[in-house]
Amino acid sequence: MTPHRNIGFVAAAATLLAAAPLSAIFERWTWLVQAAIVVSVVAGAAALSRLGRAPLWGQLLAMLAGLTLGLTWVFPGGTELLAFVPTPATFAHFGDLLQTSLQDMRAYGVKVPDVDSLLFLAVLGIGAVAVVVDVLAVGLRRPALAGLPMLAIYSVPVAVYVDSVPATPFVVGAAGYLWLLVTDNVDRVRRFGRRFTGEGRDVDVWEASPLAAAGRRLAVVGVLVAVALPLAVPGMTGGLLNNVGAGPGDGTGRPGQGGTSGRIDLFAALSGQLNQSERFDLVKVTTNEPNPFYLRLGVVDDLRPSGFQARVPTGDQVTRELPDPSERAPRGVEQRTYRATVEVTKNLNMPLLPVYAEPVRTEDLNGNWRYDANQQVVFSNRENARGKRYSFEYVRSTFNPDALRAAPAPPSESAVMRQGTTRPTVPDVERLVTRLTEGRKTNYDKVRAIYDYFSVENGFTYALSTRNGSSGADITDFLATKVGYCQQYAAAMAWLVRAAGVPARVAVGFTNGSNTDGGTYVLTNQNLHAWTEVYFSRIGWVPFDATPAASIPGSVRSAWAPDTDAPEEITPSPGSSAAPGAANPSAGPDEPDRLDKDADQGLAVGESGPARQDTVWPWWLAGALALLALLALPALRRSALRRRRRVRAAPPTATAVAVPGQRGETRQIVVGVDAEAARADAHAAWDELLDTLVDFHVPVDGTETPRATAERLTREALAEDAGAATGVRLLGRAEERARYARDPLTDAELQPALGTVRGALAARANRRTRLLAAVLPPSVLMRWRTALAERSARLVTTTGQARQWMVRWSPRRLLAGRPAR
Amino acid sequence: MTQQTWDEVGGLLPHDEFRAASEAIVANIEQVIAGKTATVRLALAVLLAEGHLLIEDVPGVGKTKLAKSMARSIDCSVRRIQFTPDLLPSDVTGVSVYNQETHDFEFRPGAVFANLVVGDEINRASPKTQSALLECMEERQVTVDGVTYQLQTPFMVIATQNPIEMEGTYPLPEAQRDRFTARIAMGYPDPNAELAMLDGHGATDPLAGLRPVSDAATVRRLIGHVRQVHVADAVKQYAIALVTATREAPDLRLGASPRATLQLLRTARAVAALEGRDYVLPDDLQTLAVPVLAHRIIPTADAQLARRTTDAIVAELVHRLPLPHDRQRSPYDTRPGHGTGNGRGPYEPRRP
Repeated sequence: MTPHRNIGFVAAAATLLAAAPLSAIFERWTWLVQAAIVVSVVAGAAALSRLGRAPLWGQLLAMLAGLTLGLTWVFPGGTELLAFVPTPATFAHFGDLLQTSLQDMRAYGVKVPDVDSLLFLAVLGIGAVAVVVDVLAVGLRRPALAGLPMLAIYSVPVAVYVDSVPATPFVVGAAGYLWLLVTDNVDRVRRFGRRFTGEGRDVDVWEASPLAAAGRRLAVVGVLVAVALPLAVPGMTGGLLNNVGAGPGDGTGRPGQGGTSGRIDLFAALSGQLNQSERFDLVKVTTNEPNPFYLRLGVVDDLRPSGFQARVPTGDQVTRELPDPSERAPRGVEQRTYRATVEVTKNLNMPLLPVYAEPVRTEDLNGNWRYDANQQVVFSNRENARGKRYSFEYVRSTFNPDALRAAPAPPSESAVMRQGTTRPTVPDVERLVTRLTEGRKTNYDKVRAIYDYFSVENGFTYALSTRNGSSGADITDFLATKVGYCQQYAAAMAWLVRAAGVPARVAVGFTNGSNTDGGTYVLTNQNLHAWTEVYFSRIGWVPFDATPAASIPGSVRSAWAPDTDAPEEITPSPGSSAAPGAANPSAGPDEPDRLDKDADQGLAVGESGPARQDTVWPWWLAGALALLALLALPALRRSALRRRRRVRAAPPTATAVAVPGQRGETRQIVVGVDAEAARADAHAAWDELLDTLVDFHVPVDGTETPRATAERLTREALAEDAGAATGVRLLGRAEERARYARDPLTDAELQPALGTVRGALAARANRRTRLLAAVLPPSVLMRWRTALAERSARLVTTTGQARQWMVRWSPRRLLAGRPAR
Repeated sequence: MTQQTWDEVGGLLPHDEFRAASEAIVANIEQVIAGKTATVRLALAVLLAEGHLLIEDVPGVGKTKLAKSMARSIDCSVRRIQFTPDLLPSDVTGVSVYNQETHDFEFRPGAVFANLVVGDEINRASPKTQSALLECMEERQVTVDGVTYQLQTPFMVIATQNPIEMEGTYPLPEAQRDRFTARIAMGYPDPNAELAMLDGHGATDPLAGLRPVSDAATVRRLIGHVRQVHVADAVKQYAIALVTATREAPDLRLGASPRATLQLLRTARAVAALEGRDYVLPDDLQTLAVPVLAHRIIPTADAQLARRTTDAIVAELVHRLPLPHDRQRSPYDTRPGHGTGNGRGPYEPRRP
């Protein structure tokens, strides 16, 4: 096998390994089989083209052709020649698949079933990555770059799972990448020459190269930093470590029940059993609303044959402005704003916060909490509701049945319709719904018909457990046995409403309970409840509680969904049927579209409102100040240094003592402290001159004597300025006298000379240099850099010595045949 | 002997006196050697540093003229030896001859018994004769037949040699070269100086008209003054660093000897004194490094193949070696670009 083909094979395999994270998205492994087929076709095309010594662009074309053929074969459109030669119709089919996949991406939550469109998208992506990886690794011999497209695959589950990305698939992908790197390096070494491994003469001596030690150290430091940094940064706590520490998520909580783990399974099962032996407080809520509707916790709207599942909520931070429901208020919908305060006990351990429907403003919640405008739930990917206390304002809407009746059907293409009416097809249910809704014109009437169906009259009773049926489908069993608790009622009603073509979902939360004191409700695990919400165009989600009210403490009935078991009190007034036309005469035909669009936008991630500046700006200000202080540090250091040198250069009082010389003459000798002071002054002035030179980018040479430096400056930098030339000569002379002579120069005016020289240097430098010298003096930076380098060098030396010392005790020295070190 | 030996000379002279005496000698020599002030001053510095001078250059640039004019300028005993292949050691040192009258051997001093000894074309003599100079140059004494005779102070050997024409010559051995304090090259005169030379030397030899401007006693006092010149510790360290650098330089097979360090510092003292200073600067060492060190060292074969002269190697070392700074510094004051703490060793190539 030639090296190139070998690398090509490894590149293909590494691509497949790198695709492992997709397993977190798909339910089954079909995608892997299909991806393997396509990737091997691509790799084969690449190998063939290389066999024919095709240039790089030829290889690329061949791989693209292979990708097309493979895709055609795996996802046939029915019009292919010989089952794998694509025709224009095939590409149209591909286009359709792509279109569908875009919609399905919204429609399905993870994990997605084997839908052709999504499979096509995944396989297409993997195949494209395989092409890119092959080009980078084999064609360009830059396998390190191939990590980028591989990382792109990994980013898919990262984008889908906001917080808890599975780690194992990433390890698999990384292993593939490393395999590719190793293969490439082995190939390089092999082409370079022989590898010195194995037993050979004088080559089995294990001798770590110094670079290898440095590499190991770097790797260790890198890993440590990578692990420590997220722990140090606040907010980044949801990583691998936390998952490891917390253990696997507790999935054993019974449906609808707050178990001891504090978790509530968001699942509205169509069969099951409640075990309510224990009872403990979960939430304490205080509101100024007289008779509030249920406190919502979450929403389950992903209908499976066994019941409703939760979707991953998406939305903006609650600290931002929340969507205002007041615009969805046609006539007949009354909206009032109330305020509630919620205290969550330690027993509720969920990433969701219980709130009343449609909160408009929150308090005491940080930016980690987000609000899903569509599901109307407050959730977090990082925090937990446990022990939280917060307040919010919410809008309570009460709906007039006439207004609901007047609501038009949502456009069938809207996301709400698509998502809200998806259901498995069960013929019994469809038949029942057809029977119930026969003759009903408006959505509300259909919903009411279904709602009314779940009544004692029709034999529905409340029980803490369902009875087993024989049909094999939970929904049919429930509809046949007519025994269940809130989950079954809510889910069954939602299913039936969906079957009637009206979007519906199940909301999970708390009833008002029985433990009330004025406006304060203490809610326990036994108050957990599920109910149905039905979507009405221009109005939004309207709650219907189909569970028999008598069995539920604290249940609430409303004008639009009266207690079916109570005597009928509210009858629709005959005149209200005229409402559809009159409801919104001024809205115009585009009104429903706009509102539906709004509902759609509620689904989209990252709907941005204006950020609330008042909580953020102090941080920005503090950060900017800190940055400024940091930037000003070198300049401050420089000016402090200069000031200190100037202070030290106070004019010395020269005490010249005349001493008799050896032959009768006298010599002037400057004695004692004054000489020392003069020396220090000269040194300070000279150091300041050198720093100034560095600041103004005049070269400083360590091999030059002061005199030579002064002469060079006179010759080059200060040639035009006679005063400065004299000054620098004076400085040089003072320094050399201070360094080398018996008596330093005492009566020199060093500071004025220094000022002149600095002025001349500044005048000579360009503006940028001057600015840098003032703001970020290179002398200070260089000194810091040098100090850092020296310290690290000392550290390395110490480490090396310690290592040497340790090696002395290494048992390796005792082994025969090993040279002792 | 009435003359002083070499370590009995006096102390510091008044500045003016030293300056006048030295300038007079230089000016006198410059009447003969025009336009070579630096060379002349260096030669005088070697004299004041109690060293010996090796003048090495191509024929006809005035090597012998310099030596002779220097000898003439100082009123002291001067002997000249023309080194020839048949010269014998006894011609240099002296010999004991049998005196018929006294019936005893009596010592007849050789050419080295003088204040100034001018050895012309020293490399033409055989190694046997050359080595006769070894003892007298370093120890300032001559031992003949077991009797040691002290030489006079000042004592200076000024030798000339021709580096180009090597036929029939015996290159100086290492030990001999090490005894010369400095090796200087005359170099060609510049056109103006050459013109002046044509005018001056056309009719008469200016050497003949040269009058002594100084005497041995004055020179001894000058030497005494030079000995008192202050050398700071930093300068000493720098001298040591320079010499050590020659010993460690990869281009050199043999570095400079400790004697070289000593003579480098002595000559630096003399140069400083001639410049009117009473302290030595590293600048002096830098100036003197090539004349004092270059003739003592031996380059490696590689460097020789690369045609790198010892002069170039020493000059490069001087350019690379950072100045030592032993002065008191504040802890915060780690001046960049100085010392060995700047992260590069002394032999790394100079950064542009």
